Amino acid sequence: MRLIPRTLSRSPRVGRLAIQFGMAFAIAMLAVGMIGFSAADAWVSSRIDASLRYHTAKYLAPADGRGADDAVVAAKILDWQRRKVLSERTYVLFSRDGTRIAGRLDIAPPHPGFSDVRFLGGGRSYQLGRALATRLPSGSLLVIVQHSEAAASLHALLPGVVLAISLVALVMGVSATFLFARLTASRLAETQGAADAIAAGDLSRRIPTERLDGMFAVQAESLNRMIDRMEELVRAQRLFSSNLAHDLRTPLTRLRGTLARGAADGDPALSGTFERAERECASIIAIFDALLRLAEIETGRHPSAMGTLSLRPLIEDVADTMDPVIADRGGTLEVGRLDDVAITGDSDLINQLLINLLENVATHTPAGTRARLSLERDAGGAVITIRDDGPGLAAADLARVTRPFERGTTASATRGSGLGLAIAQAIVRFHHGRIDLADAAPGLEVRVRIPANDSPRPRAAADPVAA
Amino acid sequence: MRFLIVEDDPVIAEHIVAGLGLHGHETTLAQTGSEAILVLDRRPHDAVVLDRLLPDINGLSVIDHVRRQGNTVPVLMLSALGSVKDRIEGLEVGADDYLAKPFDMDELAARLSAIARRNAPRPEGSQLEVGRLQLDPSSHRARYRDASAALNRKQYSLLAHLMRNADRLVTRSMLLESVWAYSFSPTTNIVESNMSRLRTALLGLGCDPIETQRGAGYTLRSDRCA
Repeated sequence: MRLIPRTLSRSPRVGRLAIQFGMAFAIAMLAVGMIGFSAADAWVSSRIDASLRYHTAKYLAPADGRGADDAVVAAKILDWQRRKVLSERTYVLFSRDGTRIAGRLDIAPPHPGFSDVRFLGGGRSYQLGRALATRLPSGSLLVIVQHSEAAASLHALLPGVVLAISLVALVMGVSATFLFARLTASRLAETQGAADAIAAGDLSRRIPTERLDGMFAVQAESLNRMIDRMEELVRAQRLFSSNLAHDLRTPLTRLRGTLARGAADGDPALSGTFERAERECASIIAIFDALLRLAEIETGRHPSAMGTLSLRPLIEDVADTMDPVIADRGGTLEVGRLDDVAITGDSDLINQLLINLLENVATHTPAGTRARLSLERDAGGAVITIRDDGPGLAAADLARVTRPFERGTTASATRGSGLGLAIAQAIVRFHHGRIDLADAAPGLEVRVRIPANDSPRPRAAADPVAA
Repeated sequence: MRFLIVEDDPVIAEHIVAGLGLHGHETTLAQTGSEAILVLDRRPHDAVVLDRLLPDINGLSVIDHVRRQGNTVPVLMLSALGSVKDRIEGLEVGADDYLAKPFDMDELAARLSAIARRNAPRPEGSQLEVGRLQLDPSSHRARYRDASAALNRKQYSLLAHLMRNADRLVTRSMLLESVWAYSFSPTTNIVESNMSRLRTALLGLGCDPIETQRGAGYTLRSDRCA
């Protein structure tokens, strides 16, 4: 059983999400800003063009029934200059050959129609202006240039405004995403707590829905329905296994009785057959008992006398018990270092765990195998190690053999229920520990870790979620 | 001895009656819980084999009823419910022993004899003694005449249990329960291997009073310790 610290990877994920959202928001705002600016710019330009057209028409309007000729226009320009009105417009009249007739603006004659021109404004710096050049019937060219302060300052504002908009949008986007992520995480926290409890085996837990809304509530309800169904299935399976116990034990009892009677008063020639049949019957019963035992431990129905359990005397006792068994099969059992460690456990289950593991050594290793049993205390708690110098297991078998009915590929000649290691695994899990099989080169090393009862229990299920 | 068998399955009931007959016991058969209560009122029995799941009332209620009437007849509960939890429930309600189906006939007979004799008190001093064979709890040593041998914890407990039940058949599963306190069935010959070590130690003292009953268990014969 591996416990993965699950709060580690959460915050960076939210952070990256927030920055991505912030960037997207900033780009969107930038686009909106540019569109808005262009619209404003276009509007200002159209107003300038309209004003130019209006003033051109005013200058060229026929006065006293006569059409506008050079002299009239030049007079108007001179009059305007004399009045020295403060204006954003300047008037220039060019003759047909391009010489300036009236007006002070020092520019080359532009093409007829609208154009942008550069001119020296106030004799100091070049300025940009909008020009409308109109050809008079005489061939002269009237040019009206308008320099718009508004348009110029609008252009000057552009980079600053765009940058400001982007920065504000970035900050707002990031904070909005962080806020959203926090709100989401706080809603999911309860869901996660319940899911962890359920994973730890508590199928009675449900996700509280009263404080959830929208899609969170919908999802929680759907998860709760799933757990309802799981609980139903587990209950059905428990009922099935206890019914199976009753329904199979009775015919097995009859079978055993019938075989015994047959062996007792049957034909002496058949007694061997009866004996073999009885042995088969006994192995069916053994598998059946082991299966029920496994189910009992895995579903937590074993009435455990969980209490403080000192492992050292228990291991010494098991070593005394198994030493002659292993010796009778030609092996040896050594007891290595034994530290003093106490765990919270069920002595019957821990006995079965150790007996199963040592029986494994006794049945699956050849004569002459030496096994060593030791108990050490480390930071995580008790470490029980059983190491032998037998043939070991193929790498592919190491993970496989703790599953029910799996056997090592080389051990098929030896019969067992095929549940020994699965039961060992279930017992270790029941004690919040873990079992690891490793290649001891040569041989097999089985390492069982169980938290000591003075060390804090691994809090996988109960950890509050740090959002 | 006379035993009352309370079992509703005719095949199993017949098997028990025939098997106990072979061991030289007399039996009365009751098929329901209420019938069992009536029979026990009328006639004393040495022990009762009680099926847990009966057609009328639960075996647990039968024990409860019998015990409340002040009847201390030893009861062996026989059940298809074989989990540790079921077993504890049976013993808590007042059963003297609990055997899960399917069971071995010799096992049933041995356990019945053991609980039937349990009413006869045995002296249990600090010094266990059968004939001239002695067991010293403080030093974990066995003594016979002038010789003595050290025993390990398991050998000591094994010998102590056999001495307390001298001249009675003790089965392997009874030893696993009382000497090892295991509720599971080991797949190797734990009892045989440890017993053989004990017997080697006793042979060294010049006295091996343990007799193997083939396929059934062991008996410590007091006449061999003289």
